[in-house]
Amino acid sequence: MAALLRSARLLKFSPSGVLQVTGTKRSGPLISRFYGGAPGGRRTGVCFRQISPASGNVSSGVWPAALGSVRSYAVATEQNDEPSIAVRSKQAQMFDWALDKLDSSVRRTGRVTKTLLLRIFHDTCRTGYPSGNQALLLLRSCGTLLPEVHMEERTELAHHMWQKLQELGAQYDVSHYNALLKVYLQNEFKFSPTDFLAKMEAANVQPNRVTYQRLITAFCQNGNIEGASTILGFMKSKDLPITEAVFNSLVMGHARAGDMDSAHNILSVMRGAGIEPGPDTYMSLLTSYAEKGDMDSLKKTLEAAENADCSLMDRDLMRIIFTLAKAGHQQHIPEIVERLRHERTYVADAMNMCLSLITQGLEDTALSLLKTFPKMQSNSVSDSPQMGSFFLRHCIDMDTAVEKITSYCKDLEESNLHTAPLVFCLFCALGAKKTEVSLKLMQKMKEQDLPIRPHYFFPLLVPHVKDNNVNGVVDLVKSMQQLGVAPDVDTLSNYILPVFSDLEKARQTLKDAGISLESEGFMFSEVRLLAVKNLAELYALLLNPSVQSLDPHVFLGSLIVGFRKSTDVETMVKITDLLYKNERFYNESDPEAVPYFLYNLIESMSAREVQEQEDKLRTYFNQLHTQNIMISRNIFKGIRNLLESYHVPELIKDVIALVGRDERVPASEIVGNNRVLILETKLAELKAENKPIGPVFKKTIQALCFEENLQRALELKQQHDEEMTASCYATLIQLCCRHNNVEEALNLKREMSRKDSLALDTNKYIALVKVLSMNGRVDDAVEVLMEMREKDVVIDDRHVTMLFHVLNEAKGGAPTIQQLQDTIFTLGLTKPSANLCGPLITAYLDSKDLSGALEAAIECYKRYKCLPRIHDILVGLVDKGDTELLQKAMDFVNQKRGEMIMLYKLFFAFLQTGRYREARKIIETPGLRAMPGRLQWYAEKCIFANEMEALEQMVDATAKLFECDRDEMYSYVLRLCKKRNDWRKAEAMWTKMQEENVIPRERTLLLLADILKSNGKEVPFEVPKTWYRHVEAAQQVEPNTAATPANYDSEYQERVLALCTKGKAKVAYAMLTENLKKGMTLSPMGYDHLIRALLAEGSVEKALAVKYIAEAHLPAFRLSDVAASLFIITQSRKGQAKDALEKFKSMLQADQVPMKLSITRLVQALGKQGDVASIDEVQSLIRGFGISFNLSTMMFTNNKALAHIHNGDLESAVEMLEEIYTSAGSRHPSMAYVFRKVLEDGNDKALDRLSAMADRLANHFACYTPATDLFLQLLDKDKVEDAKLMLARCNVLAEQKEKFVLYMSQKSKSPGQVGRIKALQSLVPDFTEKESLYRYLIKCHALDKDLPAAKALYEQMQAEGVHVDELTLKRLAVLYSNAGEQAPFPEPPESFKFYADKLKQSLSKSQTASEE
Amino acid sequence: MAAPTKKVFEIFVTRVPWTVANREIREYFGQFGTVKRCKLLFDKDTGFHKGFCWIGFATEEGLNNALKKEPHLLEGAKLQVQRNRTSFVDHRSHRDNDDD
Repeated sequence: MAALLRSARLLKFSPSGVLQVTGTKRSGPLISRFYGGAPGGRRTGVCFRQISPASGNVSSGVWPAALGSVRSYAVATEQNDEPSIAVRSKQAQMFDWALDKLDSSVRRTGRVTKTLLLRIFHDTCRTGYPSGNQALLLLRSCGTLLPEVHMEERTELAHHMWQKLQELGAQYDVSHYNALLKVYLQNEFKFSPTDFLAKMEAANVQPNRVTYQRLITAFCQNGNIEGASTILGFMKSKDLPITEAVFNSLVMGHARAGDMDSAHNILSVMRGAGIEPGPDTYMSLLTSYAEKGDMDSLKKTLEAAENADCSLMDRDLMRIIFTLAKAGHQQHIPEIVERLRHERTYVADAMNMCLSLITQGLEDTALSLLKTFPKMQSNSVSDSPQMGSFFLRHCIDMDTAVEKITSYCKDLEESNLHTAPLVFCLFCALGAKKTEVSLKLMQKMKEQDLPIRPHYFFPLLVPHVKDNNVNGVVDLVKSMQQLGVAPDVDTLSNYILPVFSDLEKARQTLKDAGISLESEGFMFSEVRLLAVKNLAELYALLLNPSVQSLDPHVFLGSLIVGFRKSTDVETMVKITDLLYKNERFYNESDPEAVPYFLYNLIESMSAREVQEQEDKLRTYFNQLHTQNIMISRNIFKGIRNLLESYHVPELIKDVIALVGRDERVPASEIVGNNRVLILETKLAELKAENKPIGPVFKKTIQALCFEENLQRALELKQQHDEEMTASCYATLIQLCCRHNNVEEALNLKREMSRKDSLALDTNKYIALVKVLSMNGRVDDAVEVLMEMREKDVVIDDRHVTMLFHVLNEAKGGAPTIQQLQDTIFTLGLTKPSANLCGPLITAYLDSKDLSGALEAAIECYKRYKCLPRIHDILVGLVDKGDTELLQKAMDFVNQKRGEMIMLYKLFFAFLQTGRYREARKIIETPGLRAMPGRLQWYAEKCIFANEMEALEQMVDATAKLFECDRDEMYSYVLRLCKKRNDWRKAEAMWTKMQEENVIPRERTLLLLADILKSNGKEVPFEVPKTWYRHVEAAQQVEPNTAATPANYDSEYQERVLALCTKGKAKVAYAMLTENLKKGMTLSPMGYDHLIRALLAEGSVEKALAVKYIAEAHLPAFRLSDVAASLFIITQSRKGQAKDALEKFKSMLQADQVPMKLSITRLVQALGKQGDVASIDEVQSLIRGFGISFNLSTMMFTNNKALAHIHNGDLESAVEMLEEIYTSAGSRHPSMAYVFRKVLEDGNDKALDRLSAMADRLANHFACYTPATDLFLQLLDKDKVEDAKLMLARCNVLAEQKEKFVLYMSQKSKSPGQVGRIKALQSLVPDFTEKESLYRYLIKCHALDKDLPAAKALYEQMQAEGVHVDELTLKRLAVLYSNAGEQAPFPEPPESFKFYADKLKQSLSKSQTASEE
Repeated sequence: MAAPTKKVFEIFVTRVPWTVANREIREYFGQFGTVKRCKLLFDKDTGFHKGFCWIGFATEEGLNNALKKEPHLLEGAKLQVQRNRTSFVDHRSHRDNDDD
């Protein structure tokens, strides 16, 4: 440190440095003296280039030690200062996230946006205790990565971050100082290098080679060669290598000092020192000439660079352009632009350059660069070129003058770079809420005769409406008027009137501001307002003949709200009558406006509302009848259905009176529900009247299919064969397939083809193929496949999976599968894949025909270039010892995939069959190298299948394998040890690693420590400290941080603790209150435990009391995270959501981390109370806290939806959910929770609404999650009929098999669920294979202890020839023996786990079959 | 499940350019048949609409005409038009601003 102190001081006090340098001219030879000792110049130079952005801790031997000491210093201080270590967990996750985010931004676009950077910075700050890595990441991003930000602002940002992060406890080492220097250089920030060194010195941080290099650059940027030489002196005295980078800086330094000769001379000095000038050297020279505008020398240098084989990239040329522009030599730019070669990354680089230029106010140059962009291939009309968008957007962001912008717009439009530049500018300005620019742009648009519309003002009005800013709104309305835009009704009622307390005031203020109120919009708004508030006044207004004709649609919505609230039936009738009869309101194009209004009125009311207002509605309807207001039959049916669903059928007869006499309502329509019956009655009616029955017939068939009534559907078809349409056939065919009725399905299909050449949809075709091939009707199946080809049926990934199952389940063994598979591929229905070829090989393997399997695999390769299940084939061959065939297989693989792959395949086959000696020989083949991917594949396979021996053998055998990552290999074994909880093996591995001199990674050590610890063994090494260790520790330590009081009695404390652990919290509480009188107290931990124990019993009040006592005794007392979380949970559970919310907030303030469960409970409690705003608050607080709790955002969304539903605001709930599912990139999270709650609450109205939403999402957006969720929830609530209807409406649901299987496996974990699984199976018969279905059913029976049912199922399985696996047998056997009966088969001897694993293994095999 | 029996002829339109609002959309689709309703949602925070809307025609003819036309070009943007297969009931808001 002393040396450093001295060096900095010297620099400070003698600016000329230790070496007297007189005159810059002489610095050339002088410098060369320094480099005399530069070790291996060229090499280090290259090395530096490669590692340039990182700190230079790689190059010289001196540095690791020095760095090491810095690091250990940093670590030491960190350890002294760890009050809130829990935060580190979040921080570690945060870091990865931020890194990813920044990294991907840089990789994609070569830049970072300021918004993103600031967001990450603020998140880091809020989390607190930023790590060194985070600080480095943030600092590094404040330079050229932000082309959209001014240089000064970037430096300011870096300083702000530096200071803030330091305050928050970030430890800075030399890498941070170097990063800051780099930022300074990139931002051309003027600073004093001496002060900088002094600062480092004060912070006790030792500068390194990179620091000196950058300081030299800093001096050179200012043309200060003397300063640079001084630093060089230091480097020399410290034996630091002088690299190319230093020379490059010196070139710039001399140039900036005005001495171009010396600058140029540096190149020969470099050569003299054994370093060839590189591209960066030439760039230094080139930019220097560019600054001076010396084009001749510039061009000469370009040639020289080319001759020296230093090719310059487009990026470099752009830097020259940038320099020319900045120095005001625009006239030379075209010459350089011509030299651009348009490399692969051209557009991204040029975009960044444009942005930088605009930021610098050099928009003209940016525009000329923009014009060099390759023209987009616009092949369709709509994809019009919008290349200039980013340019315009940044101009708007940088507040470029509107006049300039409009001229660019004209230019861009003319040069075909943008079709609507002005409009786009307005869009950006509005988005950035720049009112002045927006208004000016609109003025320009008006001048160009572009339309200005009222909604253009919405974005500008939004903030004023939010702030209730009357002046802001009035000003904008004035601007609208000036631009000749009359506010329409939407603008008025949503964005203008809401800021006024009442209509009169609004009228007055606007009038005073000179705004015309003549627009019809104002009148509309008034009508709307009155409709909601005062029906009588509204009626008076409507009666006023001065009111011009008015489209009632404008206010019918508000009228519904008014009608629902009003009790004034008389006025309601009067208004309805007026709308119905008065020609001013009657709209000819929509004669049903009033009847439809009645429907909407009822529809908008909830069941409860209708029930409560039954009398009012009855009077209303009756009086409408006396006024001769009539509705159509359709409207009647709609209202009837609503009333039925609201359970108010009594009102139906009052509504029926409104139906005109000429539209007699048949009795069946009044009946309502039973769909099939109604339809069949209607069918008979129509037939009797000799009317066309087509549509009704179709509906009847569909209804019957929904009810799975195949027989009746077929009967009906027989009766009305002539009415069968393609869609009827399709529905029926699918039903037949579901019922495995192959004959009928085929007949129908043939009949359909005779009548009509229409195609079925893909699902139905494949279902047909499946049912045919399952029944051995291969030829027919092939025929259907061919038809699919002919009809050009579209096949997507889902269908490919379906085809895989078709092949897997085809009856008739390999030849059948072969035929189907070949047909599928030769027809080109889908691309051949190893996966689809798998079933064929499986068939051969199952029949032990290895030669067949091999032949088939080879054939697959020849024809389709994929090798299905080759590993399994080889294993079979090795096992059987068929060397001849094995040789053939290996020759083939060798020939097709190369020797390396062949050897690996053989290696794995030997390992798999236990032939370890042979395996070892293979892997020791000279020249073989590690293929990490292959090794990992086999290791994972072993871990999954619990094959320790094979895995260990693999690790042993690969010890000498070239480039084999030994730590990785051992970690595989340790992972399996952990899975088996085998600490002995783990410990042996540890020893082995030492033997082998393997240096384990942290992760490996942690894994090992974990296994040992969980078995109560001592850990023989120091466990690396990582955040998640700290979390555990912190939870125990934290309560102790408050000082223990004087009169604290450890015996008393122990008794309290003992009572707490025994669950006798109340007794402990009594003891506490008793001892309190004696002045005895507990330690903070004692209080904390007691509070936790009380909360665990649900005694919030007592817990609170203890908290107060503790706080009274120990001022520093703070609840531990766990206790505070328990508070939240308990209060939430008791419905005290407000209190819980307060607690939660105070926790966050105190930097405590609430438990995940507590947040969930809190949000649920808020949802239950309909408190949407608070849920939003919690969500934003958590986001602000910067921790990922792994809470799904759906938890918030679902509870918000429930809150809306609780408030009766279905609209918002649906809107919000819909947005989640329709937004691009949505991963379609589950909303099952919402459905469950709504079902539990019996809120039918909400359910209808949500169900309609689910239908819509499924049908329009191909998003099946909500529908599937609802379907399963309905099943779960035993509403099988509803579920069936749901399936009928949306039959794609039947394809959601994975979810169904998941549902089944979850259900089978708790008793009493057999019915649900069976119901699922009855609705979606083919959702899983029989074998797995039966396995789960047996599991359920076992859980239910229902031996008779299990017996019956077992018999059924045998009768159906379904394979009974050992796990199922084991379950059955235990069930038998528990019931005291003898099982009719021997009980499998091993444990449940053994068979479960075995089963998993065999299942995984069928999956991994596709791996090869 | 109270499905309304009234026939509805609706389309669902996406990629609606920001420059157009209800009036323009109605005008455009008016060429195919009488537009009974048009629902375009505005984002209350940004003041821009969300880029999709629902349109209900008075007649099946209007609906079919609209579906037949390809491409739908409005102010230089290509609208994506598809049939709205489920009932309108759920989109219909009882606030007038969505349904003028």
